[in-house]
Amino acid sequence: MDVAWYLVLSALLFATGAAGVLLRRSPIVILLCLELMLNAGNLALVAFSRSTGNQDGQIFALIVMVVAACEVVVGLGLIVAMFRRRLPLNVDELRNMRG
Amino acid sequence: MLSLLLWTPLFFGLVGMALPRRAVGWVATAGSLLPLGIAIGLVGDFHLGTPVLQHTVDSSWIPGLGVRYQLGIDGLSVFLVLLTALLWTGSLAFSALRPPEGRERVYFLMLGLGETATLGAFMAQDLLLFVLFFDLMLIPFFFLIGVFGGENRIAATMKMIVYTLVGSLLMLVAAIATAVIASGDIGHLTFSLSELRAHQLSLGSQEWIFCFFAAAFLIKMPSFPVHGWMPDAYRAAPLPVLALLSGVLPKVAAYGFLRVVLPLYPAATVHFQELVMLIAVASILYGSVMAFTQTNVRLIAGYSSIAQLGFITLGIFSLTTVGADGAILQMVNHGLVVAPIFLIIALITERAGTEDITRLGGLATRAPVLAALFLIVTLATLAMPGSANFIGEFDILIGVFQSKVVYAFVAAIGVPLAAYYALRLYQRTMHNRLPEGATSRDISWRDAAVIAPMVAVIVGLALYPGLITKRADTAVQDKLGEVAVGTPEITQVK
Amino acid sequence: MTATAYAWLVLMFPLLGSIVIAINFRALPGRSAGWIATAAIGLAFACSIGALIQLLAEPGDSRQLTSTLWTYAQGGGLDIKLGILVDPLSVFMCLVVTGVSTLIHLYSVSYLTSDRGFARYFSYLNFFVFSMLLLILAGNFVLLIVGWAFVGFASYALISFWYRRETATKAGMKAFVINVIGDVGLVLAAFFVFRDLGSFDFPTVFSAANQQFHTNQGVVVAICLLICVGAFAKSAQLPLHTWLPDAMEGPTPVSALIHAATMVTAGVYLIARMHPLFELAPTAADIAAFVGLATLLFAGTVALAVTDLKRIIAYSTCSQIGYMIMGVAIGAYSAGLFHLMTHAFFKALLFMAAGSVIGAMAGNQNIDRMSGFRKAMPFTSVLLLIGSFALAGFPGMSGFFSKDEILTFAANRGGMYWIFAAGGYLGAFLTAFYAFRIGFRVTRGEPCPEARALEEGHIAHGEPMNPATGEPEDTDVGFPGPEHHIAEREVPMRVAMGILGFLAIVGGLIQIPGVDNAIENFLDGTFADSRFASTAPTSGDAWLGLAVGAAISIAGIALAYYCYVARPGTTARLVERFGPVHSFLKNKWYFDEAFDSLIYRPLVGVGRFANNVFERLVVEGIVAGAVGAVRGAGVVVRGAQSGFVRAYALLLVGGFAALALYFLIVSH
Repeated sequence: MDVAWYLVLSALLFATGAAGVLLRRSPIVILLCLELMLNAGNLALVAFSRSTGNQDGQIFALIVMVVAACEVVVGLGLIVAMFRRRLPLNVDELRNMRG
Repeated sequence: MLSLLLWTPLFFGLVGMALPRRAVGWVATAGSLLPLGIAIGLVGDFHLGTPVLQHTVDSSWIPGLGVRYQLGIDGLSVFLVLLTALLWTGSLAFSALRPPEGRERVYFLMLGLGETATLGAFMAQDLLLFVLFFDLMLIPFFFLIGVFGGENRIAATMKMIVYTLVGSLLMLVAAIATAVIASGDIGHLTFSLSELRAHQLSLGSQEWIFCFFAAAFLIKMPSFPVHGWMPDAYRAAPLPVLALLSGVLPKVAAYGFLRVVLPLYPAATVHFQELVMLIAVASILYGSVMAFTQTNVRLIAGYSSIAQLGFITLGIFSLTTVGADGAILQMVNHGLVVAPIFLIIALITERAGTEDITRLGGLATRAPVLAALFLIVTLATLAMPGSANFIGEFDILIGVFQSKVVYAFVAAIGVPLAAYYALRLYQRTMHNRLPEGATSRDISWRDAAVIAPMVAVIVGLALYPGLITKRADTAVQDKLGEVAVGTPEITQVK
Repeated sequence: MTATAYAWLVLMFPLLGSIVIAINFRALPGRSAGWIATAAIGLAFACSIGALIQLLAEPGDSRQLTSTLWTYAQGGGLDIKLGILVDPLSVFMCLVVTGVSTLIHLYSVSYLTSDRGFARYFSYLNFFVFSMLLLILAGNFVLLIVGWAFVGFASYALISFWYRRETATKAGMKAFVINVIGDVGLVLAAFFVFRDLGSFDFPTVFSAANQQFHTNQGVVVAICLLICVGAFAKSAQLPLHTWLPDAMEGPTPVSALIHAATMVTAGVYLIARMHPLFELAPTAADIAAFVGLATLLFAGTVALAVTDLKRIIAYSTCSQIGYMIMGVAIGAYSAGLFHLMTHAFFKALLFMAAGSVIGAMAGNQNIDRMSGFRKAMPFTSVLLLIGSFALAGFPGMSGFFSKDEILTFAANRGGMYWIFAAGGYLGAFLTAFYAFRIGFRVTRGEPCPEARALEEGHIAHGEPMNPATGEPEDTDVGFPGPEHHIAEREVPMRVAMGILGFLAIVGGLIQIPGVDNAIENFLDGTFADSRFASTAPTSGDAWLGLAVGAAISIAGIALAYYCYVARPGTTARLVERFGPVHSFLKNKWYFDEAFDSLIYRPLVGVGRFANNVFERLVVEGIVAGAVGAVRGAGVVVRGAQSGFVRAYALLLVGGFAALALYFLIVSH
């Protein structure tokens, strides 16, 4: 199959994820959507790796998965902490970093 | 040897961090005697008649960037190193007699760091090393004024830092640019002053680099019209620190012109000569006129420094050997007189409780020794003929006279003005009637032990100013190099 | 010992005296500081005589000796030596200075006995003599300038000797600053000399000048005019004279020594020393002579109107130095220096007598309040009159011979120089009149209360106060001491005044035209190369001049006698009649006011303007501008930091999208 189809799928996934990050307010959903974007990236990497016959892309994808796992751990941990401290689970209300 | 001289003050400052508070000051003072001794030894050991660097230290420091740890002294720096060591000992001893409450350790550490940085700037023979030491000087003074200063110290410090940092950054850029541009010619990156001198830049690059360096040095001096940081910083700084801030630091800037700018950028120097001379003359007149309208004793001394540094700059940019000799002599002289003035101002403030000359007076009544010391310093400040300051000014003006007559005549107006403001400072504090609330008390033995040696040096130098000019001469000739304005042939009729 | 060794000793003794007294000021008991100082100057006088004897032993044409101690400063083509020049001129000046100084020191030992600054006074006074001798003996321009400035400082220190008096400190400041203006003139002259002749040493400079310059060349005129600035500032000539009357704030012996006999005559010495240059620049010399003439007439008129006893004598000093400057400028060198010597005698005497009178008046100096001291103070009165006669140029007295010698020389040069002779005789008439304005008003008339008190045997005592302003004072250090001293009761004062009185009478006899020419012959060693050496008047002309001078002097004294003794009150009527003229004179032709509004006030104004406007707007403006720019940028950038996580995400995504788009477009 042509690599283009994979790329189209990857782009769709990435766009969905980005839209989710931008539109949703719940930190959990934002985290999920981030995962979606990362995996879109992975898909593109693997697809290119196959089409060029080079293994580098696959290894890169593995690294991204590891990073994604770490990110989820930290992210979910933060969300749990926020929940425990009864902070609102709404990113728009967390504006302490305003300049 | 020079490394020992360089790092001793910082070492004693660090040692002080582990000592009980009451001992810190005295340990620092005692420690500063070592650099002083070495500096005296350097003068004694000085080889006359050669511009070659002496007691050099040279080892690789950051090979990747071609930065070397290169130290050395010659006729330009040897007396400035001695001046630095001497004034620091005086200031440390004076501070040890009346230490700041509570944070003595930091205070004396910062003073030690300041001495190391200043000595480093005077001895560095690598452009980047010079720039680093030059910038390092800022840090201790930031803390010394910001933490230990008087009213408005934060604002004053910020202002000073902003001003001088702008200059420092320009200088850093200029230094790196010099090395990078020159590396095309040399073949590798180097900051060594001697190597850079052998490979001159094109006139175009020299010009903007000259401007950057000049800006940095003129701000540091300070010179009209970039002296905006001076009044506030002078008002806020503790007086022993001010003695150094005014006595030594501006000399690094003036020295920088001779050490870096003239040899490295001769074409630009000639190109901008008149402009810098114009700034210098403006500084002389502006500083003098301001000094005689101020009522705060610190600011009178501060503005007089602007005028004096104007003379020094004028001497350097006369581009004559005699003018630059005079400038070197005058750098030492000015440091020697302005430091005791600030220490005496500290004593005056202790006696009268004010720094405003309209509310001062009559302090000489019961203090003949203090008055006599102050009088000698005042006379030296106004460049009384017979003092070394006079010979300095005389040499400078002769140099200017040889290169640009008009500037000499205009600058000469500064001389009677100096007589007026210096004498006014003396009279309004020591003479006339004693106001309410002030007590006239003679100088204590301990304070006298700090100030009297400085005054003794002033008197000694007055008897033989040739000590300095003779040693500076060859180095100055070398640094002026091809930019020197043709000195007229001296016809010895005898 | 050689003459130069003696000369170094002449310098050494006063310096040593000054240092010894300064260091031991606490330890010296009673009057010992004064005696040490007097002894130091006495020894210097003895050494001056030694130098004179040694110099006379040399053959006439090689009486120019130099000697160097060490090289003072060198480098950059400069080579300044600590060297002296001993020649007839410098030895002559040394003799006058040390001789008169010894007597004035002696006088001061008594006069300042009760002052709390006794040791300080003598330390300064010795330092002054050292400086003056340094100025005289200097062998090059730099050392000359050093001595020149040192005397300026010593003068400052002694004028503000009573340093808690504001009038005294102000006067000291004025004197110092005007003197520094003179110093600058000299320094600039030295620069020109060095640039064109390549040396600072006098003998080298003078011989080179004759080869390198032609007459009235621009540069040599400039050099001479700059030297004149120095000379005028020191010698209180127009328009730099204003400090001298104010300098009378100092103790009276100081006025006698510095502001009459020695320092103020330094300008005369300077022009005489520089005569090879002035002869190359006749234009500058003529300008100097005109200034001298203007000063002698101006000061003479002011001396008619002011009422402060010391200030009258001060203006008289201005006027007499005008004669000397005129003399040396037109080429009458030995005559000018002869007048310098006799003037030192009689003017010091007049000041000493005035000091004694002021002591009797308990510090009051107003001549309107003095009268009738003839009986109360016979000794002082006699010596005051001797001084007045000598000043007036009464036939036979010292001032008679010396003043007329200058005027005869001027007349003899003829042409334009007749103006100087005529003006000089007019000035002589004024001199005779004001000299006896002092003499008659103090000694004749009804005794004033203070004189009566003295006749009854005790000196008047007033509350201590500033005689100029009437402010109350105490008698501690920084103000005059509690007691007043008069010559009638103090042996040292009497001795000093007696010797000077003798010299004021007979001092003129060493140079009588046609009889002896001691001074002229001696000074020939210095002035032999002068172009005017042969134009000296014949003794016939000289005696004619003396006759005219005698007539004018007697006429002036007679008029004074008429106004003050025969018909007292004449002057009051004159004042009424010519009120505006009188107040113009009394305000000293408004010179002080002119300087104040032309120089001082504008400078202060500029300073204020710089402080208030320039510092605030421009210097602060640079900072304020930079800070404002940074702050403005901050406000703009701050808006982006909304705190909305999703806004940041949008920026990120949008930014990357834009970048990608850019690269897409670029790559195609």
